[in-house]
Amino acid sequence: MTLLKVASRNLRRNRRRTTITLVALVVGVVVLVGLRGFINGQQRVLVENLIQGRLGAVQVHRAGYVKNVLSSPLTLDMADDPGFRARLARVPHVTAVAPRIEFGAMVSTPDKRPPPDDGSPLPEADQGKTSFFIATAVDPALEAKVTPRRTELVTVGHMFPDAQASQVVLNAEFASGLEAPLLDPARPLPPVEQQTALLAGDRDGALNGENVMLSGTLPSFSPGDKRNGLVPLGLAQKLLRMEGRVTEYALAVEPLEAAPTVRAALQAELGPDYEVHTWDELFPFIKSLTGTQDFVFSIVSGVFLAVVLLGVVNAMLMTVLERTREIGTMLAVGMRRRQIVTLFILEGLVIGTIGASLGVVLGSLLTLYLNHQGIPLPSPGATVPSIVRPFITARFLLAALVGAPVGAALATLWPALRAAALRPVEALQSP
Amino acid sequence: MTTNIIELKDVHKAYELGKTTVTALRGVDLTVGAGEFTVVTGPSGSGKTTLLNIIGCLDRASKGTYVLDGEDVSSRDFDALADVRNRKIGFIFQSFNLIPVLDVAENIEFPCAVRKNAEKPAVLRARVEALAEAVGLKPYLHHKPDELSGGQRQRVAIARALITEPRLVLADEPTANLDSQTSEQILDLMLALNKDKGVTFLFSTHDPRVVKHAHRALQIRDGRMVDGPLDAH
Ligand SMILES: Nc1ncnc2c1ncn2[C@@H]1O[C@H](COP(=O)(O)OP(=O)(O)OP(=O)(O)O)[C@@H](O)[C@H]1O
Ligand SMILES: [Mg+2]
Repeated sequence: MTLLKVASRNLRRNRRRTTITLVALVVGVVVLVGLRGFINGQQRVLVENLIQGRLGAVQVHRAGYVKNVLSSPLTLDMADDPGFRARLARVPHVTAVAPRIEFGAMVSTPDKRPPPDDGSPLPEADQGKTSFFIATAVDPALEAKVTPRRTELVTVGHMFPDAQASQVVLNAEFASGLEAPLLDPARPLPPVEQQTALLAGDRDGALNGENVMLSGTLPSFSPGDKRNGLVPLGLAQKLLRMEGRVTEYALAVEPLEAAPTVRAALQAELGPDYEVHTWDELFPFIKSLTGTQDFVFSIVSGVFLAVVLLGVVNAMLMTVLERTREIGTMLAVGMRRRQIVTLFILEGLVIGTIGASLGVVLGSLLTLYLNHQGIPLPSPGATVPSIVRPFITARFLLAALVGAPVGAALATLWPALRAAALRPVEALQSP
Repeated sequence: MTTNIIELKDVHKAYELGKTTVTALRGVDLTVGAGEFTVVTGPSGSGKTTLLNIIGCLDRASKGTYVLDGEDVSSRDFDALADVRNRKIGFIFQSFNLIPVLDVAENIEFPCAVRKNAEKPAVLRARVEALAEAVGLKPYLHHKPDELSGGQRQRVAIARALITEPRLVLADEPTANLDSQTSEQILDLMLALNKDKGVTFLFSTHDPRVVKHAHRALQIRDGRMVDGPLDAH
């Protein structure tokens, strides 16, 4: 009790030094809280873009599909009927089910003008272009519930209205490279020869085609998005001769943390003919990316904390030097060395607690403010900026609240031991 | 029954300063009985402070034995000596050495408050107030040291030295930083406490006027006790 009283009063003795130490601690904690909050926000954007813009939280396929995903195997398909969808939707935490077919397709744009009457060939610049892309066939109404972000981001034009429409949505850069004409809802549909052709081989290898119009374009989320497009599910089933069949179900899960539970429940429900994956199993790159970020953050914060704490060490060493005679007096009247050590460590603990509390409060306020404001941040390979909304977990705040005082106390350990090692006679003789 | 508080036999003290050795005490024999009021005089550098440090268990003799209140403390370890100081000895310093962040009452109670089995705060506070009364500081209990005069500060130090009810109070030139009138008052106070409470006092001084108050005056020269009449130097 007495020691704590002496320790906290000592902090008020050299106000300037205490203030500087305190400011260093507060700034340190605020920076760490802010940085962690920002990284959290960025990681959440990354995960949400991936889940709500592309994957869904959980996916169901026929067994063996994911292993062969690069060849988009149409043979590993499933019958799609309301009964099966209901089975999926019944699992707790599943909030929406979207059927899909993923397949390789070609898109072929029309010539810009009819060939000349004299029979000579059309100049290359006016010829239509043909290119390969990965098509995802979706039902727009159902898909909007699983990957709402994707639909929201069709900024040029619009999403096709239903699963039967003769329309497609392509990546914006891909579409402009192809110079595909955009559907104008205000005008009548152009003649067939001015429409775009969608071509794909069915399961038997036969190539089929459908006439479509580009209804809208999607920005890129990541560099791999360029050769991607969305196709109405019904149209794709006709094109691929797969009426009533799909290759994939994407599921929305609320809350996201329940994804592994949902995965296990679904796997048990569906049996070994099917395979169920969570988003991070489908896209392990994200986990390793956030893992790397977390690792770098812990290194940076460790170094940062060490620098701040070295400042505490320095301030405490000066304090010990200044108070040598006082320490001598305390030793003379019978105070134990352990009590001297405790006295200085308590000073570190008190200033650390004040610094951490202020830092945590200010850091949380900063994070709340930035969360409210949102930070537009262009992510690499993406054409739309992501809005990062920093947030901080109670666990991290608690760690800061405990860690900073403990760190400050540890930083005072060496000066404290030096103080306790003083010989009373010599300490008493110091000026 | 008179017992001896201090028994020093053939005490030597040498300070190692790099390659040279400074010998501060060269075989001191000294016996001080309970209740004595003793002063040690001697020229500067004669070894007064060194002697008091050894008697106060702040330092250890290089050679010789020291029995304090019947306990041989010649070879005690650091924490044991801290304990001996806390229980048996009160210190009064030339430059007061109060703890600046503590007020008068807290300074007085400090040696007892840091004990392992400290008394209840209320009991301790009552003793502090009684002592403050005895040294004339009752109205200043909640003043900080820097709000007090030199004489008042030394009174706080005296009260702090007495709060543990020690067998022995040591004072190294307690009046050197005070004017002569205040010195007289402080000496009178120490004498009164010696008489009323029977506390043994041993202090050093340069000041011949102080010496005449003592029951017993000792002289030290070049690290040796010298007999004979006191001379003013
Ligand atoms: N820590 C030390 N290291 C080395 N030599 C010391 C130390 N303390 C004292 N001495 C030496 O020991 C001798 C006795 O010193 P001491 O301080 O005991 O004298 P003193 O009688 O108290 O003098 P003063 O009246 O000036 O206070 C002196 O020669 C001094 O230089
Ligand atoms: Mg001296």
